[in-house]
Amino acid sequence: MAVVKVDKLARSVAEGPSLMTGSNPTKDWMDVPVVFKPGNYAYTTKPEKLEYLDSQQGVSFPNARVWNPEDEDWKLPENWKEIIINGLADRLDKFRSLKIFMDCCVRCGACADKCHFFLGTGDPKNMPVLRAELLRSVYRQEFTLAGKLLGKMAGGREMTTAVIKEWFMYAYQCTECRRCSVFCPYGIDTAEITMMLRELLHSVGCGINWAMEPVANSNRTGNHMGLTPQAFKGNVDFLCEDIENLTGIHIEPSFNRKGAEILFITPSADVFAEPGLFTCMGYLLLFEAIGLDYTWSTYASEGGNFGLFTSNQMMKKLNAKMYAEAKRLGVKWILGGECGHMWRVVHQYMDTMNGPADFLEVPKSPITGTVFDNAASTKMVHISEFTADLIKQGKIKFDKSRNSHVKATWHDSCNTARAMGLLEEPRYILDHVVDNWVEMPENTIREKTFCCGSGTALNTDEIMELRMRAGLPRANAVRYVADKHAVNMLACVCAIDRATLTTLMNYWNPDVQVCGLSELVGNALIIDGEKRAENLDEGLRTMVF
Amino acid sequence: MQLIEALKKKRKEILSTWVDRTLDSYTSSGFFKRSTDRFANPVGANIREGLSKLYDLLLGKADQKEMMEPLDKVLRIRAVQEFTPAQAVAPILELKWVVKQVFSADKELRPLLTELDSFDCDVDRAALAAFDIYTVCREQLYKNRVSELKSGRYILTDSGCASTLNRQGQESIPKLQ
Repeated sequence: MAVVKVDKLARSVAEGPSLMTGSNPTKDWMDVPVVFKPGNYAYTTKPEKLEYLDSQQGVSFPNARVWNPEDEDWKLPENWKEIIINGLADRLDKFRSLKIFMDCCVRCGACADKCHFFLGTGDPKNMPVLRAELLRSVYRQEFTLAGKLLGKMAGGREMTTAVIKEWFMYAYQCTECRRCSVFCPYGIDTAEITMMLRELLHSVGCGINWAMEPVANSNRTGNHMGLTPQAFKGNVDFLCEDIENLTGIHIEPSFNRKGAEILFITPSADVFAEPGLFTCMGYLLLFEAIGLDYTWSTYASEGGNFGLFTSNQMMKKLNAKMYAEAKRLGVKWILGGECGHMWRVVHQYMDTMNGPADFLEVPKSPITGTVFDNAASTKMVHISEFTADLIKQGKIKFDKSRNSHVKATWHDSCNTARAMGLLEEPRYILDHVVDNWVEMPENTIREKTFCCGSGTALNTDEIMELRMRAGLPRANAVRYVADKHAVNMLACVCAIDRATLTTLMNYWNPDVQVCGLSELVGNALIIDGEKRAENLDEGLRTMVF
Repeated sequence: MQLIEALKKKRKEILSTWVDRTLDSYTSSGFFKRSTDRFANPVGANIREGLSKLYDLLLGKADQKEMMEPLDKVLRIRAVQEFTPAQAVAPILELKWVVKQVFSADKELRPLLTELDSFDCDVDRAALAAFDIYTVCREQLYKNRVSELKSGRYILTDSGCASTLNRQGQESIPKLQ
């Protein structure tokens, strides 16, 4: 198949360099080497993290070492090329989707201008088609007859250290948000190509610490933060004290309680970092209001699964822990909090990795009797599905005026929107808990939502500039509704969003705050026996001394 | 013809060249120039809007305060892209060159080339203000980094939690071969 458009897509149409700066390269994309400099790459994995992970069963993270992307020599293992080519061969054999994605792209360019990294940088290698081409060119060279015979003429190229460096640069300038896939006529999941690139890079010891340290922590203590069971419980108890001060409601949640009906799992950031804390207070209030028989787990104390951003074996292992804990505690089903990628793993991979979870029951709300058939196989229900059902069945009451400080807009988090189709439930909840909320422009919401720009373990501070430019398309749409409708709150259902959109708004729209949906639910929820403090001008995030 | 009148008459041509040259500073600029959807193409649309408004304000001899908003629209974007400070601010100064190019190509306007001193000064002032904005944006980036550290999100890495103890003696963990 002839390579028709990639060169054209990638070449600047500029007629001459800027007079003032001389910028504006016009070379062919394959001839433009990547340049690593502070701010455009995330720090590499600490050797001790990798050595620890490599010592664990079921996963492989070899070639731990100290290395710096800015150095010429990356200290790759001697047989690095063999490792990469064999690794690619293995994956082509194992994953039929990868083989199809390598072959079926016709370079139509439909995805080219849909990636937030491309839109924020103007770098052609951030066009999904070209990012995939970074791998596809090696595939052609090594695994297709045309490539073997004709090399570059057939769109192939030699696997060199320059290619490895290019992979490292662009596999970590993709948040696997899958917006491009929505527009691909062939449904190529470019996120899975990024996943393969990252796996291959890990095989030669090239990864980023912000992904691997949370993975190591999660593997060891059950959550990204590395919180011990005592610390995890302590944080939740602390939130309960805050709730009592604010609302007069006394809550005593249970932990690791065998025989509870439901296991509740949420990202650990919800029990630890602002503004997730307020979302967590929302969960606690809701469960108290309806008298839910549930337990927290200090072992499955993390909904997030950075394994998704790392390797399929790691993803499988971290996902399995949630189900192992559900089995150990003997619960009937799992209720999941406001996480993004946890839901992609559960909806798209869990069933074939660790499922079906036959030892659990098809989730049935103990309050309304609603059976969640959509979760019949995974046995895991999203908090928004659960809450929307409670509202629909009239089991909870709200006082919207308690959210009168909020003029909200809704950010569809990539994974819940595109990977599980959670589009209507959050909107239904918003309708019931706030007086005022508005939609962002049509091509920036629902399936076409723009990523926060910092997903897939890119939410680290050393690449702040990269995150801000990648988040521009999202922030730009928020600015529109902030200017037009005086929106002051960006609501979402993802822990990474809550953290990273806060930072993104600080840069682009400082008057807009970020919250989880359950925070707004908790603010407005009317509970028997409550004694809300007066002047809760900011709901659950009001500081009370 | 009076200078301001000429600048108004040639507005479309000058702006078109100016915006195109600014967007040419991106490696693959075709889409940025082509798409007029401000949500699908935030870089192209914001830069076009910002420079257009700035041009009109320059012609209207507007107060520098008024120029901050359109300048912010352009510089807030360029401050987080892979430009040096000079490259980020350069497009503002390039307006002078664009105006001279357009006037030079028109016999009727050529005499006005000698009258551009005052306009050039206004552009320079806008460029200096742009540099102020650039600096504010960069400072905001560093504030963002600090506030993430303060908020505790950094504990995802480098944490001093109890499990840190597990790191001790890690050398003795046998490797799987």
